[in-house]
Amino acid sequence: MKYGFFPGCTLESAAYELMISTKKVAEALGIELIELDGWTCCGASHIQDISEDLSLAINARNIALGEKLNAPIMTVCNTCTLMLRTAKQRLDEDEEAKARANESLKEAGLEYQGSSDVTHMLWMLLADYGLENLKKKVKRPLKGLKVANFYGCHIIRPPQIMGFESHLNPQSMEMVAVALGAEVVDFDQRLACCGFHAVFPAEKEVMQKTGVNCLSAKDAGADVLVTPCPLCQMQLDMYQPDAQKRFEESIKMPILHLPQLIGLALGFEPEELGIKRHIIDAIPVLSEKLSSK
Amino acid sequence: MRTITFKINRFDGDRAWTQAYDLNHEEGKTLLWALTKIREEQDPTLNFTSACRHAICGSCAVRINGHAHLICKTSLDEILEIYKSDELAFAPQANFDVVRDLVVDWRPMTERLETVKPWLIPTEDGAADTGFIQTPKDFHKIASPTDCIQCGICASECEQLAENENFLAPFILNRAYRFAVDSRDAAPSEHIRPAFENDLWKCLHCHACVSQCPKGIRLDREIAYLRQESMKMGEVDNAGARHAYAFHDDVQSKGRLNETTLPLKTEGMLKTMRRIPFALRMVRTGKLNPLHFPKAVNGIDGVRRIYAKVKGGKK
Repeated sequence: MKYGFFPGCTLESAAYELMISTKKVAEALGIELIELDGWTCCGASHIQDISEDLSLAINARNIALGEKLNAPIMTVCNTCTLMLRTAKQRLDEDEEAKARANESLKEAGLEYQGSSDVTHMLWMLLADYGLENLKKKVKRPLKGLKVANFYGCHIIRPPQIMGFESHLNPQSMEMVAVALGAEVVDFDQRLACCGFHAVFPAEKEVMQKTGVNCLSAKDAGADVLVTPCPLCQMQLDMYQPDAQKRFEESIKMPILHLPQLIGLALGFEPEELGIKRHIIDAIPVLSEKLSSK
Repeated sequence: MRTITFKINRFDGDRAWTQAYDLNHEEGKTLLWALTKIREEQDPTLNFTSACRHAICGSCAVRINGHAHLICKTSLDEILEIYKSDELAFAPQANFDVVRDLVVDWRPMTERLETVKPWLIPTEDGAADTGFIQTPKDFHKIASPTDCIQCGICASECEQLAENENFLAPFILNRAYRFAVDSRDAAPSEHIRPAFENDLWKCLHCHACVSQCPKGIRLDREIAYLRQESMKMGEVDNAGARHAYAFHDDVQSKGRLNETTLPLKTEGMLKTMRRIPFALRMVRTGKLNPLHFPKAVNGIDGVRRIYAKVKGGKK
C-alpha cells in the first residue's frame, strides 16, 4: 500500500509528534508514505476568505503533486482533508473552474487531472487497510483504557464533501478504538467543534468550548480524549490551561492524536510517539492503565 | 410488532420534562408523521408547528438526537438506520427560546434579520412598477440563496451562536449575501457592513449549518464572500482579516505557515505579549521553537507565479 503523504503545516512544528507517530505507525503496518515534494499549506480554511480561486489553485497544485506519484493522497489532518477534497470536488464537477485552475498551474509546470483520491488515515485504516488486519498487528491491547473519541468538524462536515460515513452518527473512531482493545466512552461533545479556526477573533467563545469539550469527556469517565485532527488536538491540549481559568472544576484531560493511540497498541512506548510533548501530561494515566507491555 | 419510542422534551411555560411515547413502526413514514400520530391518537396537548408538508414553509424544524431536521422531509427509517436505535430524542431547536414543547419563539430572530436590510435597495436601472432586466448569469447568483425557507435549522446548529448572541444566524448572513450579490441592488455594502459589524469573523468554520441545511445552501462560501467583500470595503484591521492574510502571505513567501510569527501578524505585539505564558509552556515541551523558520518549499517560484496568475486574472 502506497500513499502520497500530505502532512500539513502543523506536523512540522507544534504537532511534530503527529509526524513522528504517523510515520512509526505507518511503518509498523507496512504502509508506504511518500511525502509530496513541495506541498504547500492547504490554506487552513482561511485563504478562501481572501480569494476562493487562490484556495482552489494552491490545492489543485497540491493534488497535482500527488497525481505525479500515481497514488492516492493521505493526510492526518481534518482540515487539510477538507480543503483538498473541497478543491477536488470543485475541479471534478466544474469544468470552467478546472480550466481556470489549470491555466494557473501551467505557471508551475503542473496539471490537475483528477486521478488521485484524497483520504484521511482514519478512513484509510477502515476502507483500505482493514480493521481485521489492524487487529492482527496489536501487541498491547489497550485494555481498560477509557477513550473519548472527538471527531472534529472537518472529518465529517460537510457530508456533501466528506461523506465517508454519517455525519450525524459516525462510528469510525470507535471502531478503531475497539479494534485496539480500548474501551469507548460516549460523551455529549463527541461531534462538537473545537473552535481552533477562530481562536483569535473569537477567543472567549473558543476557550469556553475548549473547557466544555474536555469536561464532557471527563464527566463521561474518559482517561484520554483522542482526535484524528492535529488542530483539535492543539486547541484542546495547548489551550487547556487558558480554558481552565474559566472553570472551577479541574479539567486535566490528556489529548492524544489518533496515530498515538494506535502506536500504543502496536507496542510503542509513549515517549517514542512524542506523547511527552503534550501540554497536558498523558504519561501518568497511560502508565497506570497500560502498565505492562 | 416493532415499537419505536419517541422521547420528547415537553415544556408548559413553567415546567419542563421529558415524555416518552410509543408507536408501532410503519415503513416509509416521515418524522412529521410520527409527531402528528402521537398528537392525534395519544396526546392532544403536544405542541409543534408544521404546515405545508412539502419542505417549503420551513415551520417544522425540530432537533432529533441533538441535530435539527425539517421533519416533513426526513425519513423515519433513515434516521432509525443512522442511529441504529428504535428510540429517538426530540427537542426544540437550539439557540431559540422555547414557547411550548417543540415550538420556539421566532420574534427575536426576525428582529435580528432586519439588521442586514433584507430587502432590495434598487438601482436606477429599474423600479417596482417597471421592473428590471437581469441576465441569466446574474439571476443564477441569487438562485441558491433565494431557496432559503427560514426554517432556522442553521441557527439551531450554529456553534458560534450557541456561545454568542451577537452573532448573526447563518440564514441572516445568507440574506445579506442574497441582496449583496443581486445585480439590481445599488448598495451591497448596506447588507455587508452590518454582517461584518456583528461578528462575521467569529464564524468557527464548523460547517454545521451547511451540513443540515435542507436546501443545500453553501453558507460557508457565502460567509467567505461576505468576508472578502468586507475587506474590499476597507475592513482589514481586525484579527480575522489579519489571520487570513497571515496564511495567504506565508504560502506566497515560503509555501508553509510560520506558527511563530502567526500570533504577531494576527494580534500585533501588544496582544501577543499577553500570550507569553502560553508561549513559554509551548517552548518548554518543545511544541514551539522560536528559532524555527520554515524554508521555502521546492517549487516556491511556481507557487508565486500561481498567485500572480490568479490575481492578475481576476475580474
